[in-house]
Formats: sequence, C-alpha cells, structure tokens
Amino acid sequence: MVKAVVGEETQLKSIEDRLSQSRFPVQAGLVIGKISSPLERGFVFDLVPTPPNDAGEPACSLLETVKDEKKKGSKPKSQAADSPSLVIDDDWVAEHARQVARMLVGGMKVVGIYIWVTNDVFKNSTIMLSQSIKGVAEATPLLQTDREERLLIHISYSPIRWTCRSCTWTSNTTSSSLQPCDFKMGRVLTSLQTFKCTYNFNLRLLVCHESASNLQTLSDILRQGISHHAKELKDAKAVIDGNLVLNDEPCTLDGVHEVELLLPFMKDTYTEACSRKDALGVLVFSGSVHAFAYLNSKEAISQAVSDIKGDIITSLQSRLDIICDDAYGDVWPKNDISPEASDGTSTDKPVSQLVLHLLRKECSLPFPRRVFVPWLAGTYICDYLQPSETLEVLKDHCVELLSMEAPADASTILEPEIEAPSLVTKSFWDVANPFHSVSSLPLEKSGGHAREENRKESTKSDNVNVRAAIFFLLLSILVGFVLYVVRRSR
Amino acid sequence: MIGAVTDLNNTREVQFFRTRSENSRSLELVTSVVYDEHPEKHIWETGCLLRCELPIRLPVYFPAKNWPDAEKMYLRATEAVVAKFKDPQVVYVVETLSKASTGVPQPVILRGIELDFDTALSNIKLLGKDAHDSDPKFLSCAHFCLKSKSDRPILSAENADIIQLSVLLNSSEKSEKSSSPVAEYIPALEEAGLLAVNFKLGVLCYAAKEIPVMYAVSKLIIPGLVDQLNSMKNVILPNLLTKHPQLCPYHFNPPGVLHPITVIYELNYGETEMKQVDIRKSLHLRLGLPSDRPLLRIANALDFSTTNDSARNDTIRKGSTLLKDVHVGIPISGVPGGIVSLIQGSYEYYHYLQDSFNDSGWGCAYRSLQTIISWFRLQHYSSIDVPSHREIQQALVEIGDKDASFIGSREWIGAIELSFVLDKLLGVSCRVINVTSGAELPEKCRELALHFENQGTPIMIGGGVLAYTLLGVDYNEASGDCAFLILDPHYTGNEDLKKIVNGGWCGWKKSVDSKGRSFFLHDKFYNLLLPQRPNMV
Repeated sequence: MVKAVVGEETQLKSIEDRLSQSRFPVQAGLVIGKISSPLERGFVFDLVPTPPNDAGEPACSLLETVKDEKKKGSKPKSQAADSPSLVIDDDWVAEHARQVARMLVGGMKVVGIYIWVTNDVFKNSTIMLSQSIKGVAEATPLLQTDREERLLIHISYSPIRWTCRSCTWTSNTTSSSLQPCDFKMGRVLTSLQTFKCTYNFNLRLLVCHESASNLQTLSDILRQGISHHAKELKDAKAVIDGNLVLNDEPCTLDGVHEVELLLPFMKDTYTEACSRKDALGVLVFSGSVHAFAYLNSKEAISQAVSDIKGDIITSLQSRLDIICDDAYGDVWPKNDISPEASDGTSTDKPVSQLVLHLLRKECSLPFPRRVFVPWLAGTYICDYLQPSETLEVLKDHCVELLSMEAPADASTILEPEIEAPSLVTKSFWDVANPFHSVSSLPLEKSGGHAREENRKESTKSDNVNVRAAIFFLLLSILVGFVLYVVRRSR
Repeated sequence: MIGAVTDLNNTREVQFFRTRSENSRSLELVTSVVYDEHPEKHIWETGCLLRCELPIRLPVYFPAKNWPDAEKMYLRATEAVVAKFKDPQVVYVVETLSKASTGVPQPVILRGIELDFDTALSNIKLLGKDAHDSDPKFLSCAHFCLKSKSDRPILSAENADIIQLSVLLNSSEKSEKSSSPVAEYIPALEEAGLLAVNFKLGVLCYAAKEIPVMYAVSKLIIPGLVDQLNSMKNVILPNLLTKHPQLCPYHFNPPGVLHPITVIYELNYGETEMKQVDIRKSLHLRLGLPSDRPLLRIANALDFSTTNDSARNDTIRKGSTLLKDVHVGIPISGVPGGIVSLIQGSYEYYHYLQDSFNDSGWGCAYRSLQTIISWFRLQHYSSIDVPSHREIQQALVEIGDKDASFIGSREWIGAIELSFVLDKLLGVSCRVINVTSGAELPEKCRELALHFENQGTPIMIGGGVLAYTLLGVDYNEASGDCAFLILDPHYTGNEDLKKIVNGGWCGWKKSVDSKGRSFFLHDKFYNLLLPQRPNMV
C-alpha cells in the first residue's frame, strides 16, 4: 500500500507549465514510475499524454451536458447538474500503456494514469477513472499479481494543484478502493542507481506429438518456453560488480553496476514434465538479452536483481508480442488458417504462426533487436527493431508514444545487440543434445552410414598409403643394395 | 601414494613406503613414523571437509529405433557434463557451512576461467595461517573455517569445519558481440525420443586447511564429481530406456574410521530388501565394521543441514521434548566390587501423563514399550514413530491377540503383549525370563549382565505388579550382591531431570534396601522381556 509518492521535480514542473499554458480543458495520460511495496512509496518519473487515436480523436474529452457537443458519438451517461462529464477511451489508453510499457526497462513501469481536469469533473468521474486504471493494469501486468495497485494523479487547474490517490484491488474482486496519499515533488531520477546485465541463454524446447485439438504454433511454444524460463530465472543467484548478492542492504556505490546471473548447473527443468517423450523436433531458442534496471537509492539491492530479471523476461515477451502483432497485421486468406488446408506450412503464413508439428522442414524466427535510447537524466528507455527496420522507426515511437524529443544524435543510441544470425543448417542430433561441441558422430540414418563408410574407406586408403610407402622403402633399399653389390662386384 | 607392509608371522611391525610423484615407480621406505594417540585431533585440526551437492537433470534426445546410437547419445551427453565442470562459464560458490549466523566468512565465487587444472598436487603452494589476500584465487580453506573453535570439541566429522560448494553457470559472461534472440526449429528426420536422466551428485572431500580453495575445487571437488557421475552413468546405462535407478549418495562416519565415507544407494528398493542388505553386509565386511550394527543405514548418514530449524522441526514433529538418557550421572549403586553392565545407546524417557494423555494407573507397560521403541529408533534400526497407546492397542488387535473393543480401553498389557508389538512394528524378537517370585531375580543377574553386554537393549520388567524398564545391573559375582538400574514409567511430573533423579524415578535399586525392604515383591511373579538386538546391518 503506497502511502507517499514523490514526483520528479524538474519533469513535473515543466509538465505543469505546459498544461497550464495549453488550452486543453482536459488531458489524460500515463504515469511512468515505480511502486515499491516494501517502502510503501511511489516514485513518479514522468507523465506521458496519450496521443489521439487512429481516428484522430483525443483519448479523453469533456461532454458538455448542455451543449451536447459529442465528439465520440456516445451519449453522456451521467446528467450531472452543471459540470460536464468526462469521457475516456479506456481501450486506447490501455493500448498506449501496452506500447509504452514495451519501451521501459527494469525498475520503470507504467504505474497508473494522470488526469488534467477541474476538481468538479474529477469528483464525478472517479469510478470511471478506476476502470481506466484497471484497463491499464491489465495491459501492463506488474508480474507480482494477486493484489494490484496503481496510482491516479490528478492535476487540477485554477488553482493548479497536484493530488495523488492509490487505487488498489485484488484480482478476484471487481471493486477497488481509492485512497489519497501524500504527494510531493523532489529529486527522483538523479538519485537512481543503474544496473545492467547481458543475459545469454540457450533453450531447447521440445516439439512433440500432440493431439490435433492442441495444435501449437511456433509462438505458442515460445511463449510457454519463456514463461517457464521466467521461473527458472527467478531462483538465479546474482553477482553485482563481482560480488555475490547476499544481504538486502541498499546499494551505496554510484555508477553503473554490472550484474551477472548465475543459474543452476545443468538442471534442466523444462523436461521435468516428460519422463519419456517422443520428439518431433527441437526448437532452439538462444541469444542474448541486454537488460537495464534502475533502483532508487532507498530500495534494497535484491530489488534491482529482481527488476533486471523481470526486464529480461519482459523483453523476450515484448519481442514475441511485436512479432505476433506484425503477423496479425499481415493479411492472409482466412481459409488458410485451418491446418488441413494449408498443412500448417503455407508460405503465406508468418513464421510465428506456423504449426510446428505439421512442419517438416527447418525454419527460423529472428527476434527484433533491442536498442536503448537516452531518456531523462541519463536514463535509457528501449525499443525494438525488426531486421528490416532502421533507427528512423524508433524516432516515431519516441515522439508519438512518450512525447519526447527524438534523439538528435544517433550515436547516443546504444545498440548492444547485433542482428540474429540467419539459420545455419545443422542436424537435429547436433542441436538437440546441448553442451557438446558439434562433432561428427554418425547418427542420421541416411547421412550416418555414408559417413561411416567414408571413414572406413579413408582408413582403408590410409592402409594402402602406408603399404605403398613401405613397399617403396623396401624397394629403394633393395635397389640400393643391388646397386651396391653390382658396384662391389665390379 | 603411501603403502604399508606388515609381516604377520614375525614382528608385526608395519613398514610404510611412499612414492614421490604420481608416475614414479620407485618406492622409498618412510623412516620416521609418528603414532598419534589421538589421530582424529590432528585430522580435524589441520583439515576441513568440502561438500558439494549437485543435482543434475540431463535431457537426452535419442533415435528411437537405433539402440546403440541412443546409448552413444547418452554417453556423449554425460561426457559433455564432465567437460562442462571445467568450462570457463562455470562458477563455484564457496561458503562456510555453519549453524552460527554471525562471524561467518562471506561467500566467495570462483570462476571456471580462473581455475588451474594443470598444476600437480605436489606443486601447490600451501598458504600459511596469516596469508590474507583479498584475491579469491589465493584464499586458503582455512579462511572459511571458523576461528573460534576452542569452545567446542572438533574431533569428529560432524563437528569439522565444512565448506560448502555450489556449482552454477554464469549466463552473463562477456562476449565480443552478442546477438539478439533467435528461434530455430529443427525437425527430427527420424523418430526421436527425449528422456530426462537425473543425477544426484554429492561429494565430500577432505582438504588440508592450508591449500588454496581454488585448488581444492580443481583437484578435489571436480575429480570427485566426475568420478561419481561416471559411476552413476554406468549403473544407469543398462536401464536407460526403462526405469532409471534412483541413485543417491550418503556420507557416513562409522566408528573406527577416521574420515567420512560416501556410499551411493539405490533408492528404488527399500532398505530392508535382501539386495540392499547384502550390499550393506559386503560394505561392512570391507570396512571391518561389526555385522550387527546398522551403521550404514540411511538414518545413520551424516546430516549436514545447516539451519537449526531442522532440529526444531524434528522436535515439533515428535510433539514434545523428551528427556534422553536420564540415567547418566545418577548416584552410584553402592554395590561393593560390582561390575556395572548398562544398555548401549540412547533412549527417551517415557512416563505417565506425557502428551497430556492421562494413563496414570494403567499405562506403565505402554510407556515402557515406548521407551524401548525409542531406543530402536535412536539406534537407527527403525524410523517409525514411537507409537501412542492407541497405536499399540491397534497393533495388538491387528495381530489378533485382542478384540476390537480393546482399542481405546484402559486395559493393562504385559511383557508378552510387548513382545508381540515389538515383533509387529519392528520385527524384533524377544527372550522372556520368568521368575515365580521377586526373590529369584538376583539369581538372574548374571544372565541380565550378559544381555547388556551382548544385546545392550533396555529390558521391560512386567508380571504380577507394576511395570518397569531395566537399564542395567551392577553385580558382584563373588558376593552375589547386586543392584538394578530401574527407569520408572510411573513418574507423573514434568520433564525435570533433577526431580526425576532425586525422586528415585531413575536410579539404582538394590533387591533389598538398607531398611530391609525388598524392591521386587516375594509373593509376586515377574516376566522379564529381553529384546534381542537385530542381527542386521
């Protein structure tokens, strides 16, 4: 339960100025920050206005009950006496939250929404705002579930006043409670500690015979694999700047801290469920994730570790989401979806939607690479680039979604990940059993015997060579001897 | 290497020989041999134990129709594990295993890349006591041993300094340029199967405190892990596609052996199955251990669990904190020139009103039985819980000795019922001695003393009157003077040792005391139940 919230002074002041100079009667957007349950505190880094939707309509508007100037074509529900009623496009705000959350790194979250509106309107619309918050929460789950908590910041004008409420609910109930909490401005961003980590992984996901009713696409299997790996990662030990993390003290050192994650030695939990299964193939999911996490100086160091682990998993999920979003965006003939018609191998289908156990050939799905864009006060946000995309794409994202200025200098953008290598044809057996160097044990049925024969042949020819050499040696000795004898006899 | 030769016929003098290096073929006679009166003192003062537990779950893909290749895949997978132990990515976390929470040295990580596998063991530089280097590479084992050990005896493996090692994989090792994730699907061209093979490795090593931890890992722990993995691998191989044997290593420190030993047991079979018994018998034989003590049963394995709460859980499970071995330190019997014969091993004192169960007036034999069963438990002959009165009655009904109405009743039981229950619950057989009068009991003293020498189990005294537990006799063969060490289950107070001893609830009883009263009544009969120590290992 959050009792006090601190907002980043420099950022919020400029937002306040911007809002008071603007002539918008109303504005809604997302609160980016962090909620620390052990500290019972909230930290607000920035407020991001939700852009107009695809139809160009603002995310929220006021409906004047008298004038009835409808922008969204819906009738006002509450006929409050004087004050106009607030209308929020919940779905659009939630979608905005989903997109923004993808661009945030560890320790930074969409923690709620803000609203710029008069006191009267606000008082009449708290129930609706709670609904919007829930929509945002659904779109950006904060991993630790069962009890949800988000912030609702209200900026009222004439006079300008900031208030903050914490909105809490449990996952199984529909009712939520709004509790006012202490709000003040201070320095938040500059006191953040930075943690970074390169996480290399190499998962082998089993693709086995399934019943026809349970056809899994490539992305389904990946999603399962990622969520399974998340559990494994949770127990990983962490080394920060070369020291094992043991106690829960706040981190006192400045600078960027290097995190290394230590996983159990060869304790494959993915095969736990299957004692013995028939494998149709194996899905190798490997690569590196670069992760960041920001920690408030008052928080325990273990929080940074769990934030960075969360960032790794979120980054993988976000990338998969992006791939799937793009796939759904592409159109393919509706009748092709049924696997019978297409054998699940139709080339029209995006790779992520292929049904693997109908697919009898190799395929490869490169994930978008993560890039980091400088944000406020030396912090970074991230974005993902598909193999075909250039840095131009992320400028649009920054401007549109985070209403920040596009990075002028491309050199400030961090690109630690290189593009995934294209598929190299390997044999199933070389890939399936991990941790051994690719060697030439003959195993494939067709190729194997051939290789074995080759080997035999080579040893045979070796023998021949040796024999020939000995023969020549003997011959030369003999010839030498004969010559010697001949010469002596002369 | 050190070897020893002795001539059994002549001098029986032992001669020691040694080789200088691993490859050397020449033997040198060792001229100066020090025979330490307390070798364990030297061993545990200058060395410590290194412990590494490592569960491995190895997925193995294999061609379903090609058995030899499946075997090959399996062997290759295990070879890969062996290679992985020395991989630069591997991280060994070294920490002190200690019950104390303060003053414990900080754990240190050793990276696979820093380990040195090439230096011969004899060339390793030993570190002196004062060597203090912040570089983890040059920390000695002594660094992880507790400094304040003057206050406790450290003369056994249980109390030795233990360094715990865990093996982890670093998934953040730096590489030149890391590529973003990619998913590749590779279909199997032939029928393939996947099986998961479990290895539960547990290695215990002894290391001199002066050697650097780094070498303790590369020279002791890793070879130990490799050896264990290989032996487990070979056992699993014939059953690769059927049910895998469940192999689990246990560490024991049997009496007479200075260092702990490790035994790998197959847990798919019960401990009492003949196959397992035979294995234990041959181990006992090879180690020269007595063949009627369960020294290598799992219940006897060394327990390294760090936290104190495991002990606490234990007492919670037992429900109460019972007093153990209450006869230790009681006043002497006062038999002039007597030879004392006592039970061997520990027991728990069960008496009236324990566990808030009111059995005053009828439960003494039950309590005596509980004490006897606790003895069998504490000697690790059995791991069953000490049965309650009801469970004892249940057992008697189940064997048909009593009617169903007996359960929940307050009926007395006697020595014969006790023997039935011991047989049913523990498989323990008993000898019964009958005397028609209490006056005959002193005549049985020689027999009882013999029982305590050979069997060492607590005896239950039942019969016409009250039931007692007999823990020992003090007997002067020449004069016939004797005393009985009686543990009285009729005590109704709390678990206060002083009260118990002062009240005579546990003490030496002469058959005729100084006031001329007989402890055993002359007009009553007595049955003595002598549980026989199971002749098993």
